Amino acid sequence: MNEQQQLMASVTRRILSDHCSTELLDQAEQGQYPEALWTLLEEQGLTTLGGFEALGGGGGDFCDVLVVLREAGRYALPLPLAETLLGVSVLSALGVALSDGPLVMASGQFSLDADQRLVGRGARIRFGRDAKTLLVVAERDDQTVLCPVLASQVEIEPGVNLAGEPSDAVVIDQKIETSNQIVLSGEGLQAIEMRGAAMRSVMMAGALEEALSLTVGYALERSQFGKPIAKFQAVQQQLAVFATQVAASTRAAETLMVTQPLNLMDVAIAKARIGEAAGLSAEIAHQVHGAIGYTKDHRLNHLTRRLWSWRDEFGHEGYWQEHLGRELLADTKTELWQQITAMG
Amino acid sequence: MFQGMNFAPAQLPPELARVREEVRDFLNQEKDWVPNSDFNAGACPDFSKRFAAKGWIGMTWPKAYGGGERSFLERYVVTEELLAAGAPVGCHWIADRQSGPLLLRFGTEAQKAQFLPEIAAGNHFYSIGMSEPDTGSDLASIRTSAVAVEGGWKLNGSKIWTSNAHLNHYLVALVRTSPPSEQRHAGMSQFIVPLQAEGVTIRGIENLAGEQDFNQIFFDDVFIPDDHVVGEPGNGWAQVMSELAYERSGPERFLSAFRVLVEFGKSIAPNPTEAQTRLYGQMVAHLVVLRRMSISIASLLEAGEMPDNEAALIKDLGNNYERWVPEMIRLQQPDEVSEGFAQALNDCVLHAPSFTLRGGTREILRGMIARGLGLR
Repeated sequence: MNEQQQLMASVTRRILSDHCSTELLDQAEQGQYPEALWTLLEEQGLTTLGGFEALGGGGGDFCDVLVVLREAGRYALPLPLAETLLGVSVLSALGVALSDGPLVMASGQFSLDADQRLVGRGARIRFGRDAKTLLVVAERDDQTVLCPVLASQVEIEPGVNLAGEPSDAVVIDQKIETSNQIVLSGEGLQAIEMRGAAMRSVMMAGALEEALSLTVGYALERSQFGKPIAKFQAVQQQLAVFATQVAASTRAAETLMVTQPLNLMDVAIAKARIGEAAGLSAEIAHQVHGAIGYTKDHRLNHLTRRLWSWRDEFGHEGYWQEHLGRELLADTKTELWQQITAMG
Repeated sequence: MFQGMNFAPAQLPPELARVREEVRDFLNQEKDWVPNSDFNAGACPDFSKRFAAKGWIGMTWPKAYGGGERSFLERYVVTEELLAAGAPVGCHWIADRQSGPLLLRFGTEAQKAQFLPEIAAGNHFYSIGMSEPDTGSDLASIRTSAVAVEGGWKLNGSKIWTSNAHLNHYLVALVRTSPPSEQRHAGMSQFIVPLQAEGVTIRGIENLAGEQDFNQIFFDDVFIPDDHVVGEPGNGWAQVMSELAYERSGPERFLSAFRVLVEFGKSIAPNPTEAQTRLYGQMVAHLVVLRRMSISIASLLEAGEMPDNEAALIKDLGNNYERWVPEMIRLQQPDEVSEGFAQALNDCVLHAPSFTLRGGTREILRGMIARGLGLR
């Protein structure tokens, strides 16, 4: 990471460590949207990061976005920052001026009919209810188009993911100006998926680092049989395994933070590898924390439930493993070792 | 990341593509072996000699000692190419990776001048003398000892699990030169023991695969001249510890099963099932991340750092990967497989138990990682 990225990470971390408390996480889960924290992030320019300045963006590139989102993951930020920054990157790539945030991408069964009516329903739209603008992906004849829609004009059926974050169904039936129908290429669609997967990867890496730190802290604090449980080899060995998974995740995530432009193979590797680490690590984190970590009151669950959600979002491990395997196997002219060294 | 662990992204400089191509060309011309990516699987003195002639043994050492003054990352490229091609590297591997750098760091001027050029020329091969019949993970409990005599030391005791001692020229042995005291790690020294010396007996031990690549060595009043003591007498423990980052962080800690993966890929490529494709992708994802972590450590070594904890971590992660690959592939192999596939898989299953033992057991490594986490 370069100096500017380190600075951005530390600014984000400072804001979140001051404001993203367990209490705030609990309240957010009970439906109190942390508006003030969003405003703080907005004031720091973090909610438009990666967007072209000429289009109303905050500048910076997608690597910077990932650097900030790792911190969001570390603090289990209960706000649609990743969703918004994904929207910012999509609009910016299309050369479209940024709409008011929070921005949330919405895909599902949406289509535009001959009368320019956008009709359909999309399920499991993360933070759908908190969006100001929805970026709806819809089919129009044999094209895919992106339509910015004011969230106040759609119907929301509330739901939640494993982490208790909003995961809503969105129902739309409204006329869309042709100027608000932006054609997406196949490449553009793939870029959206790739960026989404990269975002979840670094968020998981941040959450994993934090979960390890919480678990190590707990093991040193908690005494049984007259000594901290950290002194038992059985516990040490488990935490060492946890650390290996976190180290691998961090390395896979940081590749994405220093590689410009993002490429699909690195993202596939990161999402598959970190998703795997998430399951294994969450298991150890809970085992070491014992019953207290299984309570809703403890901060750990805000991290582990997100890990369990994020590993499935934008393609689970199997999806990306298959993608990676298929790409590698299809190129029968290049030996595996050459393929691996070419990835760097 | 967490405290004391550093895997900051590092990349191999693009100019190293050339040495990679040179090594690939060389290996393609040489290739007359059954490929096996386990660094311990094949030993061929003639191959090592020809390899040395290319300047690829001791390539980071000063030219004055037969080295090439090339970077540690360049060496990284050469070693990973050797392993990926499954070349018989067993003869020179230890001397190049470990014994040479040890002498370079702690040896006297005379030792460096005497021993290093012979290693770099592929003339002399080395073994590691750490374990003993009663000493495995608890290295400080060694009993092989030496007493000072006129002009040197008289060595008695035994070392075990010494790979290729029957083919090699020297053993770098950790021995007690003072009786055990309160300070467990004091009183040890490292000797360069010529394996042809009088009083040295080498007895082969058959491993479960039926091979005799490792040995027990007995020392019966073996005279070791003073100029064969590495560094300061009594400093043996610190010296041995300084070898660990080199010993544990390299590509040999995660590539041992690589040929199995290659054969699997070849066998499924024409018509892979979804499960096979996923498994292949999963195993490559792990491998790419391990390699990137290992390159991060190589960059730290190049910068003169001693990343012991990182090295322990990657060894544990890499060794577990090596053990897991054949187990998973076994269950996804096609009904009809080539001879090459069957052989690679069988070889790997038979040798896999050694992966998580050699160079520090899984349990010891995890203990080190736990210390790095502040738990001990």
